[in-house]
Amino acid sequence: MVENTVEMDPVEYTLRKRLPWKLPKRRNDVYVNMKTDFRAQLARCQKLLEGGGHREICVHGLGLAINRAINIALQLQASSQGALQLAANTSTVELVDDLEPEDPDEAGEPMTRTRNNSAIHIKVFYPDTP
Amino acid sequence: MLHSMNNMRYLQFFESASFSPDVSSSSPKLWNFRRVSHTEDSSPYPIPGLAADILHMRVKEGSKIRNLLRFVTARMREDRRDSNSTSLRQVVFTGSGRGLTKTITCVEILKRTVGGLHQVSKLYYKTVNDICENPQQGAPDVTMQRTVPAICILLSKDPLDPQEPGYQPPQTLTVPTEDTERCSAPVRPDLSPPSQNTAKRLCLDEWSICSP
Repeated sequence: MVENTVEMDPVEYTLRKRLPWKLPKRRNDVYVNMKTDFRAQLARCQKLLEGGGHREICVHGLGLAINRAINIALQLQASSQGALQLAANTSTVELVDDLEPEDPDEAGEPMTRTRNNSAIHIKVFYPDTP
Repeated sequence: MLHSMNNMRYLQFFESASFSPDVSSSSPKLWNFRRVSHTEDSSPYPIPGLAADILHMRVKEGSKIRNLLRFVTARMREDRRDSNSTSLRQVVFTGSGRGLTKTITCVEILKRTVGGLHQVSKLYYKTVNDICENPQQGAPDVTMQRTVPAICILLSKDPLDPQEPGYQPPQTLTVPTEDTERCSAPVRPDLSPPSQNTAKRLCLDEWSICSP
């Protein structure tokens, strides 16, 4: 894990990121991350739209995955020959980091720090009016 | 992928920025072009119904958020002290490529400092022409075209059309998440290590439920 030297403490801490907010996942929710292959995530979205019979899917991205989420949504729209429409919503997500003292014998307390990160939620849908 | 796109070591014409394989490592030596300048295709805003006098903030990768926001908040709050009717009601943020995340972050911070703003976001592809200098003397410069994803966000004090795709009403209260409920202060000493483990375990349990 990354060591985080906080200027107010002389003790070195271990930085551990807490997992972000819980994911309420409907069938048509797709959460994009940077670890999975791009084409696999794109294929998953396409399968949901075409095979799954969903009128709309929602693509979510947090932090660095925002770029990838936007890319996936635009690719879906391009491959549908303009049949799909996009609606993007942005939000802020609070992330919590746990700072643990590296050496348990050191006189340091485990602390937490919150920071904000941007998130995007893109709805990819077939418009109702033909 | 977008990072490899910006590494101008290869000579290819791309339709979309996303499917570019990372060929920079396998490109031959004589294709070591250096990017000189780039021009963008200026297309009109994809958002309909914009006022004529509007503040257009172009967010790039190296932009400093603090500088941008200081400028915009000063302009947005100008109308309160100004006796004339020169009020800034609308502002447009555009960003593309690497500045995309920064654009969204700027918008989010601005929404928090200046409340009650209606938002309309639009995503589109933007074509960028890169002019690369040929290292061989006398050879002409090469122009490469690539498309990068871009976003255009309109923030307005006046209400906008809610039927417009990408519309977001002003949000006065922050959405409470389980993390905010647990940690109220930015930095506080955590009382016992097991509470952190339970926090992690809680998230993992929910993930195991939600994952297909």
